[in-house]
Amino acid sequence: MHLTQKLELFPDQRVTQTLFKEVKNAAELRQSAVEGKINGALINPTMLVDPFQVMVAANKAVHFQKTGKMKTRSLYSEIIFNLSPTNNISEAFKRFGISDADDSVMIVVVHDKNETQQDIAAKVDGRQVPVEDVSSLSDPAKIKKLYKITPQEEKCGTLLDAVVCRMATKDVM
Amino acid sequence: MVLNHSMAVPELLSKAELMKQGAEARVYRVQFLGKPAIVKERFPKRYRHPVLDEKLTHRRAVQEVRSILRCRRAGISAPVVYFVDYTSNCIFMEEILGSSTVRDYITSTQQSDSCQEQKLEQLAQRVGQVLAKMHDEDVIHGDLTTSNLLLRHGQEDKVSDLVLIDFGLSYISALPEDKGVDLYVLEKAFLSTHPNTEALFQKLLKSYTVSSKKSSAVIKKLDEVRLRGRKRSMVG
Repeated sequence: MHLTQKLELFPDQRVTQTLFKEVKNAAELRQSAVEGKINGALINPTMLVDPFQVMVAANKAVHFQKTGKMKTRSLYSEIIFNLSPTNNISEAFKRFGISDADDSVMIVVVHDKNETQQDIAAKVDGRQVPVEDVSSLSDPAKIKKLYKITPQEEKCGTLLDAVVCRMATKDVM
Repeated sequence: MVLNHSMAVPELLSKAELMKQGAEARVYRVQFLGKPAIVKERFPKRYRHPVLDEKLTHRRAVQEVRSILRCRRAGISAPVVYFVDYTSNCIFMEEILGSSTVRDYITSTQQSDSCQEQKLEQLAQRVGQVLAKMHDEDVIHGDLTTSNLLLRHGQEDKVSDLVLIDFGLSYISALPEDKGVDLYVLEKAFLSTHPNTEALFQKLLKSYTVSSKKSSAVIKKLDEVRLRGRKRSMVG
């Protein structure tokens, strides 16, 4: 159900995504994350189009971590920051991190290829669902608005294409 | 002391499949996060002064990426950018699968007999339209050739999609002169690569003129630039 993929640029590492619906303790989870007690990124899945979007953010985050260029203070906050189309860190957390009222959460963990991180799932009071289900949680209208996607752009590619392209180029736009 | 672990991309490329090597960059094919991708590596040029080389290389990568996004926002197909490593000046982007260059299309269509003229005219019209749209967005491609225009074959009967690639020399400009030069570059490349296509290129320009909102000034400049070219009589 969870999805573990490799980062070609960092062959010893893996990225595992886990998705939960019917989450009842979002406030508690968010608080734990803020206190640095959770070893993972807690993402609001309504802003996600596809697991690939998370992988792009994670890849960039790990790269910046290894080259000492992160804009935020931790790998996991960097992943959340990379999802955002803007360079404002607090806005990124507000839009892409989980809020107290959320009832779904995507958890992303970066780990060595031989480790698996099961303990975070235990902290979530919710139902785990396949990661691929994230598209059913996406809010395309909200995503298009936040990423400022033009109607013409949707003709030359998918929503995922538009989102990923902005994530990848925001440093120079 | 910050350790610089920026060797991840060069490491990956050392084992990757090299597709093309140009004067400016090497293009590799890789799998990237589960998708087929192209990596365009702008390698250091030792014939340049190192400080200038780094500035120029970096600038070209930035320009390429900005122009791609700008084109996509206007509805012009260009490869999706997945990741940019500014330390090695490598751009990871979508591999346009199932495509051929307009160059190959023209060549092979000229060799076959069926509906040659009609197919080529249709192509010229579409290229003119896409370039008009691009120039209306004030994007100057900078290296327009028939090898930098791809036709992505759609499913079955669907018309193929025209995709622009190689924005390394591109920049933003509203000046008709810059757009005129952009077309001039294409004209020279077009006519030298595809013999006896003067009429076809005229159709392309006609389509451009009709499709672009600012075309008259651009075509005027194009005519002026043509008169300026090499081996031109400098009379009167």
